[in-house]
Amino acid sequence: MAEGKYADYVEAILKECPDADAGEVSEAFAKYEEEFYIPPQDAMRSVLRRFKSGVSPGPSTTERSPRQTKKVASLSELVGSDKDVEIEVAVITHNIRDQTIRGEEKKVAFGMLEDNPWEENGQRIRWDYKDWGPHANLTAGSIIRIEGASVNEYNGKMSLNINQSTRIVVLKEGVATLPPSNDPLDIADVPSDGYICVVGRVLAARPDQIHRKDGSGSIDVVRGRIADDTGTIGFLSWEPFDHEVGTLLKIDGAQVRSFRNTPELNFGRTTRIEVYHDANFANLEALSERSNATIASLTDGARDVDAVVQITDLTKRTFERDGEEKFLWSGQVGDPTGRCRVSIWDALPFDEKKLPITVKVTGARVRAWQGIPDITIDNAEQLEVLDAPPWDESLDLANHSVSVSLPDVAAGPSRVGIETTGMVVSVREDSGFIMRCTECRRVLRDGACFDHGVNEGNEDVRLRLVVDEAGATTAVLVNKEASLASLSLTYDEMKSKVEELGDIGFVQLVREHVLGRSVNVRGRSIVDEQGAMILAEAMQISERDAQMRASEMRTQWGWS
Amino acid sequence: MERARIARQPAHLLLASEFGSATLHEKGSGEYDPSFVITKLGAKVNRVVAAGLLERLELRETANGSTLYQGQLRDPTGLHYFSVGDYNSEIMRELSHQWVERLEDGEPLLVMMTAKTRWYQTDEGAVYTSLRPEEACVVSREVYANWLLDACQSTMERMNNFTTSLEVEPTMDAFARVGLPTDLLVARNHYGEVDLEPFKLNLMQALDIAEGRLEAATTPPPMMSLPTGDEGDATSSESGGALGELLLQAIAHLDQGEGVDFDTILKNAVARGHVREAAESVLDELLESGQLDEPRFGWFRVASGE
Repeated sequence: MAEGKYADYVEAILKECPDADAGEVSEAFAKYEEEFYIPPQDAMRSVLRRFKSGVSPGPSTTERSPRQTKKVASLSELVGSDKDVEIEVAVITHNIRDQTIRGEEKKVAFGMLEDNPWEENGQRIRWDYKDWGPHANLTAGSIIRIEGASVNEYNGKMSLNINQSTRIVVLKEGVATLPPSNDPLDIADVPSDGYICVVGRVLAARPDQIHRKDGSGSIDVVRGRIADDTGTIGFLSWEPFDHEVGTLLKIDGAQVRSFRNTPELNFGRTTRIEVYHDANFANLEALSERSNATIASLTDGARDVDAVVQITDLTKRTFERDGEEKFLWSGQVGDPTGRCRVSIWDALPFDEKKLPITVKVTGARVRAWQGIPDITIDNAEQLEVLDAPPWDESLDLANHSVSVSLPDVAAGPSRVGIETTGMVVSVREDSGFIMRCTECRRVLRDGACFDHGVNEGNEDVRLRLVVDEAGATTAVLVNKEASLASLSLTYDEMKSKVEELGDIGFVQLVREHVLGRSVNVRGRSIVDEQGAMILAEAMQISERDAQMRASEMRTQWGWS
Repeated sequence: MERARIARQPAHLLLASEFGSATLHEKGSGEYDPSFVITKLGAKVNRVVAAGLLERLELRETANGSTLYQGQLRDPTGLHYFSVGDYNSEIMRELSHQWVERLEDGEPLLVMMTAKTRWYQTDEGAVYTSLRPEEACVVSREVYANWLLDACQSTMERMNNFTTSLEVEPTMDAFARVGLPTDLLVARNHYGEVDLEPFKLNLMQALDIAEGRLEAATTPPPMMSLPTGDEGDATSSESGGALGELLLQAIAHLDQGEGVDFDTILKNAVARGHVREAAESVLDELLESGQLDEPRFGWFRVASGE
């Protein structure tokens, strides 16, 4: 019985160690599985080592037992250890790049292939492949039979290795229109990776160079930006790109890559770019106008950003680098969608005493610190001072906050100047009085700071809550003023409450006040891989009239 | 502490009827993967905010000597069963202790709690859901009424999604395209046909209460005393009504043709938060009144001759 169960594995071992006894090999597998819970596919190596050691080592053991070719119809039938595979596939993409292998410059092809090429509407699976040949008859769009490829599995992702000894039989020549032309996507819908097609107008294009990290030279590229009605996206062309600003292009087979949180189109050898005609497509002026970014839409790593913002506060910071005195202006900016930071690495083209000043920013970079976007301006020419903001001038951006739904806060970028509403579902036990490090304001644990050691600390008050809404969750840290205000306590009153009830008793008091209640919090959000957090400078417990709400709901649901 | 931090699970607002009628469970394969209960309306919940009248709370010694508070929270749609054990925070146990005393004094307590959902299956295959409160407090009527309305609103949203989903092809892709949660598809595959009418009635009751049309929300709980062995005690027969119904239901549900054994029945009753002794005596009553048969010793089934 055991023989049968492990037959495939035993056979594989016997291929490598023809002298081994099939029964013993099978027993070895059984032992691994039963005694150590190691399944046969994982035990292969160990079993092989054991039976190989019985064979006297020597160069003569390279005897090549005839390999069993694994013929499959679908990629799904393959496993990571398959060596000699035969399959018919359609080549979706084919790219060639130079790679240095053992000091030798070599051309290697790579791309994507798809199984089940013959069936009209069958299910198809796509894998990456690498062609080490590279084989001249492997071209995009053709249908081929691959004989003798091997499977590569890395981090759970499967791909096919086409080796120099692999035979490629072309079954159907590639057609020029393949890869199957994708329908153009709206720029706003561009995914964070993949090969796509878009139609857009060139907003900007400039030659640039990318320096190889190993210092072996540089590559000429073109960077720029295209736009459609739905948005704009940056691009990087690895091939010559000489379309002028304003040209409408259809770009098929562009690869999307994401730099930090910002997707970017990459144009390579297989990208087809053609001038497109559509009299109804928005013109350059309209698109440039619309391509102005809002602060709410800024993402880390974005480039060539145009925006109209109001600078509300700026301070000059000087520092020394390489013995040279340098300076930087950093401060706050706002627009009706929110606030963020700005850094200007040049002399200001305006008088900083006249703040707030509205500027049009052109071609800026965006970096993010603690998730808060920072619009970085390298050159004063990127700033154009406007006489008045394009929005209601009475808007006080320094104190303005934008209402954002809690799920949007949790899913969006970090933002300054927001307010949101949700239900308090937790009052953490470390709410109340805390001690902060006198050096860095970090909360002390057992009287010591993580960075600065034992520290007498400064006393502070905060509430640490969890606020949920519609399936989204955020941590909320309420500062001292807002904590006291929301509990209607003075500092001294709170002090005596804690003395009376104890730390935990006080937390319970807070729970009785806010747990399960709807609150509105105002402040800034930090969103990272640990989730969303709101640093609240104000918190309002919603006072709602249940009777009224019930009647409203009844009407809304037609139950009155 | 190498493992990646697992994101906190959001709390959902659930009325007792929706949570209590859920039988579907989902848990990832990893050691720290959260577990979920999926309701008939497609809410996939690891954590809930529940509220209601604290109807019962009792301290129980468990077999291994640890203490366990078992309780029931009543909202207009039914009961939540919860337990507070040694694994809970000190404050949660302290609160339970205080509340037991206040309940004994006959004080009505409206309680709000954030709780983890728990799902378990008896050896016989019966499925129960219950709550493990993490944080709780006594709230005012007004806060309770507003919570009730919030819970009604989210229930209504799920009901609307459910109705929409009936017109949609039951595939992940199709659900995603129209913006329906895929958990709803999982729920629909598990529960099959779901009658929305009871849920709608529940919402109507809840609205009534929130509007102050009924006093049901704050009527003190019927006093439940442990049966002392004396029969004919008015309160015990009253609780026996609900318990008796539960027992009859459980027996009908679990009966595979040979009846259901004594131990299983009692285990199920205890799992539902009832006292073992009370269940025993109700079982006797049911047998005497002819609602149950005992085809052979220790095995019970619903009497057929009704």
